[in-house]
Amino acid sequence: MSNLIKNELTKIFKKKSIYIVLFVTLAFVILSNCMYKYFYTDGSFSYYSEGYVEFAKEGIKNLDPNKPSDTKMYIEYKTVLDVYEMMQEYESDAWQIQIISSRIEPYVNERNTYLYGAEKDENQANKINEQINELTDRLKNDDWKYFANEELKIAEQKVKALEEEKNSTDDKQRLESLESEIATAKIDLDVAKYRVDEDIKYGYDYMNRALMNYQEYGYTIVQMDNSNTELTYQEKKDYNKAIENKEISKYIIENHVDTEKANDLRGILSRFFNEFGLFIIVIVVMIAGTIVSEEFNKGTIKLLLVKPYTRNKILLAKFITVLIMTVFAVVMLIGMELIVGGFIFGFESLSIPVVVYNFSTNMIQEINVFAYLGTQVLMILPSVVLLATLSFALSTIFTNSPVAIAIPLLGYMGTAIINQLAIQYNIGFLRYFVTLNWDFTGYLYGGMPLMEGLTPEFSVVICLLYFFVMMIPTFVIFKKKNIKNI
Amino acid sequence: MEKAILSVENLYKNFGKKEILKNVSFEIGSGDILGFIGPNGAGKTTTIKLILGLQSITKGRVLINGFDIEREFEKAIEKVGAIVENPDLYMYLTGYENLQLMANLYKGIDKKRIDEVVKLVKLENRINDKVSKYSLGMRQRLGIAQAILHKPSLLILDEPTNGLDPEGIKEMRELLLELAKKEGMGILISSHNLAELDNLVSKVCIIKSGEIIETSGISEIKKEEKANYKLFEVNDISKIKEILPGAIIMDKNKFKIDAVKEEVPEIVELLVSKNISIYEVRKEEKSLEEAFFEKTGGNVIE
Repeated sequence: MSNLIKNELTKIFKKKSIYIVLFVTLAFVILSNCMYKYFYTDGSFSYYSEGYVEFAKEGIKNLDPNKPSDTKMYIEYKTVLDVYEMMQEYESDAWQIQIISSRIEPYVNERNTYLYGAEKDENQANKINEQINELTDRLKNDDWKYFANEELKIAEQKVKALEEEKNSTDDKQRLESLESEIATAKIDLDVAKYRVDEDIKYGYDYMNRALMNYQEYGYTIVQMDNSNTELTYQEKKDYNKAIENKEISKYIIENHVDTEKANDLRGILSRFFNEFGLFIIVIVVMIAGTIVSEEFNKGTIKLLLVKPYTRNKILLAKFITVLIMTVFAVVMLIGMELIVGGFIFGFESLSIPVVVYNFSTNMIQEINVFAYLGTQVLMILPSVVLLATLSFALSTIFTNSPVAIAIPLLGYMGTAIINQLAIQYNIGFLRYFVTLNWDFTGYLYGGMPLMEGLTPEFSVVICLLYFFVMMIPTFVIFKKKNIKNI
Repeated sequence: MEKAILSVENLYKNFGKKEILKNVSFEIGSGDILGFIGPNGAGKTTTIKLILGLQSITKGRVLINGFDIEREFEKAIEKVGAIVENPDLYMYLTGYENLQLMANLYKGIDKKRIDEVVKLVKLENRINDKVSKYSLGMRQRLGIAQAILHKPSLLILDEPTNGLDPEGIKEMRELLLELAKKEGMGILISSHNLAELDNLVSKVCIIKSGEIIETSGISEIKKEEKANYKLFEVNDISKIKEILPGAIIMDKNKFKIDAVKEEVPEIVELLVSKNISIYEVRKEEKSLEEAFFEKTGGNVIE
């Protein structure tokens, strides 16, 4: 038996095709790493796009501020242009840009309203101008802490005011809405406090992104907490997602580590299957889809079947070979990514743990990159093995390689559609469909399954069921097959 | 009686309603070389596939060294070497790698044995080339090499002379005779190229439309003549009919006549007296091929 497997491996590795596919895969690994290195952006830095500014410049030419119908548009365009001009003094990723767009823009808008609006008031405009000048001086002096302290002060006052109102009012409806307003205000307060305590300068780096996420997901949670209707399954999942993101953002803020960084070796490895899963599937399906049918097409099956091994042993040896090649493909791709990614990004990022939120302990969990990667691969392996099994079964039953390769690949691509259909329209019977069950990563860390009612045990049973439903006929048919003239 | 290496007993094979084989039986003993002859489509390859377990048997059984091919496949097939139809080998491997793969599947075949077999089939100069670069004749030799690698007691060769040149055919004939004699191998050769089997096989089995119509020793087949013809080659054949009314004209110099050997001097004398020069007189002996056509009545595929 081991000799049969050894022979099968020899046959695979003596063929050119495996090397061609591995070479192409390597080329794609290099390409995708380069893309992350040189073309990846975390989001746009520029507040206004160049196009919009040009559009405003053109638009303002045709507007007359004294014509009542044009006034509103004129003020809007003028504000855009004024703010844009202020921004020109700074680098596109400077902290000042954020302040200009969030803090100074309202003043500019107000000033322009007094200057060009229906009720003109020079004095007011001048007063506001002074305020603007004071703020821009602080921008020039790199005094971001002033803005941070201001933000904190405002947030504190708002919370205080809302709480006072809560103590003094008896209106039930008002009380209810106050609850959520206070919760929201407290999140703003958290953010302001974090900025001051953790010394987070304004800007567009990962710390600011974490603050922003903390705030945004915090709002989502408050909103859902105060929702009067029962949450649907999908909403509960969104709620969990929000908690997870908020907690991870908190971890980033408190530890000053960018655990969500996408464009380094660790980031790519932690999303390994999303990045390279298709390559693994292609390699595995290519092998599984030809390992039997090619022997039939070339006539060499006759050589094999007159050797002192039963047909069951021969077929089993071939299937085990496919499993070995699956492991080989995974190891090969991880190896490629480690070498290519390490060469392009360096290996330092590997020391940073992957951070997940565990819903069974309700705690943040730090996991070593390789331990995380290993767990992910193991949990997703059932899907690869089942696709390989499908390909292997087709290859044996129809002795036709193109069919055996094409159908599993099409099926893999269709997975997303089927799953989405099942989830979106909550089609119950689709839970017996294998694509909803063959990826076990969703069950990790106390996560909620794709669809209501799915459990790990159920999924294991479904996967095994599909496996045997494919394998048993394959073995029976292979055993009974008459080797016709080739 | 010595135990047969291969015994095929009342074999039937149906594909759907079509009967491909009907009651096929024969035996091969140690050192026997059986010529399995029949026109295309007669069921030669099907019989071979049933013997090798490549197709299921509808009725009857095949015993190899006493083991039933369907019930004890592994034991039965262990001592069998075969080429079925074409010598289909792994084209992307070298000749040596092909042999290595085969060797892995049997116990106790070492490098020495492989080299020995390579020498035996005279492939030593090209054994490290890819099989895709081989001519059909070379593939045929490699096919024989992989079939005899594990010293089988039964060798089954389906049309083994396909693609071999006359020199190659002669060499293969010598090789097979040696294997049968020295190692006591039983050999089954199917062929429609009868001339090649003429000096090789010790037994002939003729199959037509899925039925065995003749099994006998090679000499018996050839001697089985309907009449006692003598062949004459002469310089002028135009007057022969007048001189010998019973003569059958074959071509412009040859005729044959039914005569016992005591009559030959009289005929010679008669011809000489009529001024006809005689170049050759001999007893007509049927070739295997002629015997074959006589038996099968031509090549009709049903």
